[in-house]
Amino acid sequence: MLYYISLVYFFMITLKNVSKHYSHDSIGLNEVSLHIEPGEFVSVVGQSGTGKTTLVKMLIAEERPTAGSIEIGGWNITKISLHDIPLLRRQIGVIFQDFKLLPKRTVLENVSFALEVAGEKRKRINQIVPRVLEIVGLAHKVERYPHQLSGGEQQRVAIARSLVHRPKILVADEPTGNLDSINTQEIIEILKKINEFGTTIMLVTHNREIVNQLKRRVVVLHDGRVVSDEREGRYRI
Amino acid sequence: MSVGRIIKFSFQDIVRNMSLSFMTVLILILMLLSINTLIIVRVLTDQSIRSVKDQIDVSIYFDPTATDEKIQEVRDFVSSLPEVTEERYLSKDEVLAEFKETYSGNTEIIDSLDELGGNPLGSTLIVKTREPKDYQKIITALSVPEYESIIEAKTFGDTETAIDRIQTITVQVERFTYALTALFAIIAFVIIFNTIRVAIYTQRTEIGIKRLVGATNWFISGPYLVESFIFTVVSVVITSVIAWFTLKFLDPYVSVIFESEAILTNYFFSHILFLIGIQFGAVFLLTLFSSMLAMRRYLRT
Repeated sequence: MLYYISLVYFFMITLKNVSKHYSHDSIGLNEVSLHIEPGEFVSVVGQSGTGKTTLVKMLIAEERPTAGSIEIGGWNITKISLHDIPLLRRQIGVIFQDFKLLPKRTVLENVSFALEVAGEKRKRINQIVPRVLEIVGLAHKVERYPHQLSGGEQQRVAIARSLVHRPKILVADEPTGNLDSINTQEIIEILKKINEFGTTIMLVTHNREIVNQLKRRVVVLHDGRVVSDEREGRYRI
Repeated sequence: MSVGRIIKFSFQDIVRNMSLSFMTVLILILMLLSINTLIIVRVLTDQSIRSVKDQIDVSIYFDPTATDEKIQEVRDFVSSLPEVTEERYLSKDEVLAEFKETYSGNTEIIDSLDELGGNPLGSTLIVKTREPKDYQKIITALSVPEYESIIEAKTFGDTETAIDRIQTITVQVERFTYALTALFAIIAFVIIFNTIRVAIYTQRTEIGIKRLVGATNWFISGPYLVESFIFTVVSVVITSVIAWFTLKFLDPYVSVIFESEAILTNYFFSHILFLIGIQFGAVFLLTLFSSMLAMRRYLRT
């Protein structure tokens, strides 16, 4: 695991007055300003439709803000070009509620794919991927396809895939939404471990227990605005 | 960049989406077979028209008193016309021999001929042209006072209606086959475009996931382009083999009609590079274009 720790760079996230208007009466985010320090573990909570997913989509340039600016590690991605989007996404690990694994590829191939798209050499892929799969506890299931795994295992594959780039930031959008309590706990433990290695974690969740148990920074969104931002917060909506 | 990986992914995709790959190739083959059927119809139509045209000619009957010099002058003039493809000259003796042979069973005509003594028939010049419409030009060119005195008759007048009709039919058949070709091309385009679109639509989630993990547009679209190439090669090869066996099967039946051996297979082999090349080019460009167009919407963000 040491190789992983040593290669983590510290990045910060800065949003300045970011708004996203889909239409006149549909607002995703409304003048959100947020500063996340390198190595922080931040939970973003809020009811459905308050802009949590919009925030995630903006961080990976799946959507662009209508106003304001977004900086990641000093890189202003507000008007990022189509050409640079893949480069950004290789810097940020993302995991989703629905795992987003390639169904026709094995565990090994899913994780390797993230390195292959970046043009990593085969020899290097063969070194990194088994080690990351070991970290998430899936070294013995490398030849399985996603449909042959449990929800928790699929999410661990997704985490492994997001880690192979040695990301500076890991964004987790409702990663436990489809999991039972045991698997949820496992995933949170993995995220905490990744955070201990220095990676900034942004956890978007509905899960009150997780947020309260983490005792980390909590940002509450309501109607697209930040209504609360506490250093050691609890789930309060 | 990563060409080897793109090729590897395309082969993996083909194998792991076998049913989709099979259906795509099957539809391409069916479309190519339709186009090939049209090509066969065109070959047979052309052959039919050519056979009918071959049976048409114009006979110029010279006056028995016409001198050899004058006849030669007319022959030279006719040969110099660019529309003329073939001319056959029958001397007075040859005409008489042919006449006697034709009417050998009719003693009255043969006796009458003997009573006349000598050879009352003039020589004949049989002319063929490139197109039926050219016959009128030949007749017009010969209808000058200088030649009127030595030309007794021209048979074009009798066959003018038939030639006009053939001319009309030829033009109509050509128009019909062009229209049919255009129709088939449109149908082929729509079907292939939709097949590729559906194939890519079913993989839209995968495309989205690939983008999320940082794949470039080239890395995502590359395998689909390679797949288009592979599908094209496979479908053209299979279609060509099926076409060859079909033509081989049909040839004996066609030979009976046109009294000519292996018309279809001869055509197939003499045009093989053109046929395969044009089909490969058209299908590959079409699948490529369809892939790019279908993928464009999934590669925007």
